[in-house]
Amino acid sequence: MIVAAVIALLLAPLAVLRRRTLVAYTAVDAATWLFAFILWLRIPGFDPWLGAIGIAVVKLATLSLFIANGTEVRWSANRAALLAALVYALALPVIGRHPLDGDEPFYLWVTESMVHDFDLDLRNQYAAHGSGPQFNDPTGPNGEQYSRQEPFLSLLLVPGFALFGVQGALATIALFGVLLVRSTVRWMEDEGIADAHVRAVFPFFAFAPPVLYYAVRIWPEVPAAFFFVEAVRGVRNQRLKRWLPALFGLVMLKLRFALVAVALVGTMFRRRPRALAIGAAVLVVPLGLLYLITGSATNVHVWGELLPAPGERYVTGFFGILTDGMSGIPFQAPFYLFGLFALTRWRSTPKGFRTGIIAGSLYFLYLLPRPEWFGGWAPPLRYLVFLMPVLALGAASVWDRLSRGAIAIAALWTIGLTIHGLSFPNRLFHIANGENAIGEWLSFYHRADFSRLFPSFIRMNGASWIGVFAVLALIVIGVRRWKHDFAIPIFALALAAGFAHAKKPGTRVEFEDAHVVKEGGELYPEMYTMMRVTYRGGWILQAGQAISFQAQRGTHTLHAITGLGATFELGGHAYHIDPHPEYQRVRVIIPEDGRVTLRCVSGAINVDRMERE
Amino acid sequence: MKRFSWIITAALAAYACQLAVHHATPVDRALPLLAVAVTVCAALSYPAVMVGVPLLVVASVGLFDEQVRLLAYGAVVALAISAALFGVRRPQSPLFLGAFGDTGSKSGDCGHRTPYVLAVAIVLLRWIPLSEVLVLRELFLLGICVGIVVVLGRTPFAVMFGVITALITPAIPLRTLAVPLLVLGVAVAARAFGMRRLVLRWPSAVVVAFAMLFFAWSGVVARAFPYLLTKPKELPRHVIAMSVAPAQSLTLDVPEHATSLILSGANVAHFRRGKLLGRIEPGGIDVRIGDVIDWGALRREQAYGAHNPLPRDPAGKIRGYGYNAWLDGAGRIALPKGARTIQVTTDALLPANASLQVEGFE
Repeated sequence: MIVAAVIALLLAPLAVLRRRTLVAYTAVDAATWLFAFILWLRIPGFDPWLGAIGIAVVKLATLSLFIANGTEVRWSANRAALLAALVYALALPVIGRHPLDGDEPFYLWVTESMVHDFDLDLRNQYAAHGSGPQFNDPTGPNGEQYSRQEPFLSLLLVPGFALFGVQGALATIALFGVLLVRSTVRWMEDEGIADAHVRAVFPFFAFAPPVLYYAVRIWPEVPAAFFFVEAVRGVRNQRLKRWLPALFGLVMLKLRFALVAVALVGTMFRRRPRALAIGAAVLVVPLGLLYLITGSATNVHVWGELLPAPGERYVTGFFGILTDGMSGIPFQAPFYLFGLFALTRWRSTPKGFRTGIIAGSLYFLYLLPRPEWFGGWAPPLRYLVFLMPVLALGAASVWDRLSRGAIAIAALWTIGLTIHGLSFPNRLFHIANGENAIGEWLSFYHRADFSRLFPSFIRMNGASWIGVFAVLALIVIGVRRWKHDFAIPIFALALAAGFAHAKKPGTRVEFEDAHVVKEGGELYPEMYTMMRVTYRGGWILQAGQAISFQAQRGTHTLHAITGLGATFELGGHAYHIDPHPEYQRVRVIIPEDGRVTLRCVSGAINVDRMERE
Repeated sequence: MKRFSWIITAALAAYACQLAVHHATPVDRALPLLAVAVTVCAALSYPAVMVGVPLLVVASVGLFDEQVRLLAYGAVVALAISAALFGVRRPQSPLFLGAFGDTGSKSGDCGHRTPYVLAVAIVLLRWIPLSEVLVLRELFLLGICVGIVVVLGRTPFAVMFGVITALITPAIPLRTLAVPLLVLGVAVAARAFGMRRLVLRWPSAVVVAFAMLFFAWSGVVARAFPYLLTKPKELPRHVIAMSVAPAQSLTLDVPEHATSLILSGANVAHFRRGKLLGRIEPGGIDVRIGDVIDWGALRREQAYGAHNPLPRDPAGKIRGYGYNAWLDGAGRIALPKGARTIQVTTDALLPANASLQVEGFE
């Protein structure tokens, strides 16, 4: 694997760099190898896997820097696709260290069923793999067990799977990733984006989250992004033969993309009323196919989902996608903030960008109030992956107006995310508990609540609304190019101030969080509970078990539930709670700032959180 | 105005790093100084180099292993200084322009900035710990090194030369300050006799970056740098900590699984390679200078007068930080196979105050 990576990293620059730029890159490359070797010598205990991936990503970032800024670069959409193919080929086995997860096995089992059984009934697959259907999966009249997932992606995987099994299926998705990169670069060229800007944006799009993660796993998102780009390109070029099959493929992949198709066809309606009829056909055929397969044209969905939801759910979803520490764009794919910045320059953006955004807007509107707006059990930004080419186009269109410091920070953050995601692919799947990977990690090591610094709209915290204003300010003025660019020192100051603040006790303690030191007890509800996000999380303590955490001096309200009744000790005081079927509030007193221990003396108690009054 | 904005930037960066300090080492406490150094490098070259500052903060907050953290700081400053060496283009020497046949460059000249890069490098390499800086000597040395850079044409090569000169000058005792003066004299003579201005941007950047990577232990870079190119052996040590005077012996039971004996010398710093210090029985293994050396020979204060080389298989620990960091002189000697008991005898011809120190088994 490492040998393959080394060879790929040596070959990749030959594909795009020339003469002086190539020589300069080679010198930097040699120096990087030298320093990597020295670090390998001097830090013998360092995780070799993390180290190897770190070096590979840093080298890729260096190459990207030369591609963006080099004076002698051989550049075309095909070369971009070639680079993407190299990188995805390397990323496949790296990400593959984590077994297929979430919806992935179900897509694969449908493929397996198509190849081996020539049907969509998964009963024998479930039996063979020791698994069972997903919640609310459709069943046939004779007990057939179908998957809730639309079968088109599985169908696309058939040739690869038939030839090379799981690896072939993964390679098929990677191939779609390569096609996506090529189409996106071509699209940017079509829209008149300067070559240098395309080259600068390309690695942020192709080699970074979320596209990188979804290009090497079995999800419909990357093929959908490819079909979407092709559809928008077709619409822009007024080429029916391009947009019609692309739109058909998009809707076939996931029924939810019908909303995209409707909006995209709507953008053509004024110019070509005939398009409405064609677009309707694009919708009807997939619905008909689904009806034939599952007996319902909407599969597991109901028409009622199209009715407006309560307003606050739109607010939560919107600001969650915008700022959430676990699933928000700034934390999981900061580059796309530049795409959002392009929205503030709407009139000067390319027509393709505007068409793409309008096409995605109806879908986005319906995504917001859904409880899984954060993406559910999947790598981050799942439901927005198809929109990323549009945001990348937007970012490329305003590249000259962006703060260089902000770009550097986004690059740094992206490099970190990529190293983390490739090194620990299991962490791409994060339980929706209001924390994120970095908050948990820092909380665990510093034994202080770092998670409260990250805005959460999954479990609202003090940083949520502050985060909203910060991100909005960032989009409107923070990433803009100013005469005097203080973006980096201000970012550093924010990091350090956040760190200094996080070391102190907070006003609210969530007992299931990573900073709480647990001596026994168990998580409530269990980690993989279906739609766990809809529960009030907590930590269950039996008699003799304890937790310790940092707390502020003063009077707090403890939220807890007990069916048996419980006596617990906290901060030198003993408290008793009577049994009750609902959550109760108990006033507790913490005598001084610092670490305190909550010990269950008798009975059992599920402690949810503690808030300072 | 631009200069003013850089001053604000440096102040913000230093304050950010001050807030992030929470480890006790002198290098961690010097984090604001590192931030200012990175800012200076960014101002001299590419503004994007400023990303080093948030990286310093992240390293301070997120890296808990001391060696990894200090190496991360080193990597940041190494990159910043290398970038500065590349950012300062078209170097020339206005002072000696014409005198040495220089024609200089006509446009985009910012070679006059290389002395700043050198100053940043020297401050980071020699001024940590800040509390132990011999200010006057250091300022004198800095001035001489800047002179060397100017004489050699303000090129990256000149900066490398200045950095190496600063590294090899312990400044204790005072007479060692003759070393940079001598280098300056040689440089002036070389230029006067027609030596061309050497740029050598890449090799110079690599050498300076290497020194900066280990700036947290720059004393070791200066006095024992080959050690930094070896892989340290992290073996469990059974500590003995006993000293054996000349002509005396010490018998020790060999712990199970032990494969080597860790020895060092005391008051043997003035001996040269090959001098017999003692013997290990069974097997008749001679212990000489080169196998082990004086325990404190590589200290800054002693290095100038010592003649000991680095042990062949160093088993010492890095002690201290910055330019005061040093490697103790313990060496690893393979034990005779199957030996259950060994006898260590110190050579009778050693001076009365010298001894062989048995540090332990590994």
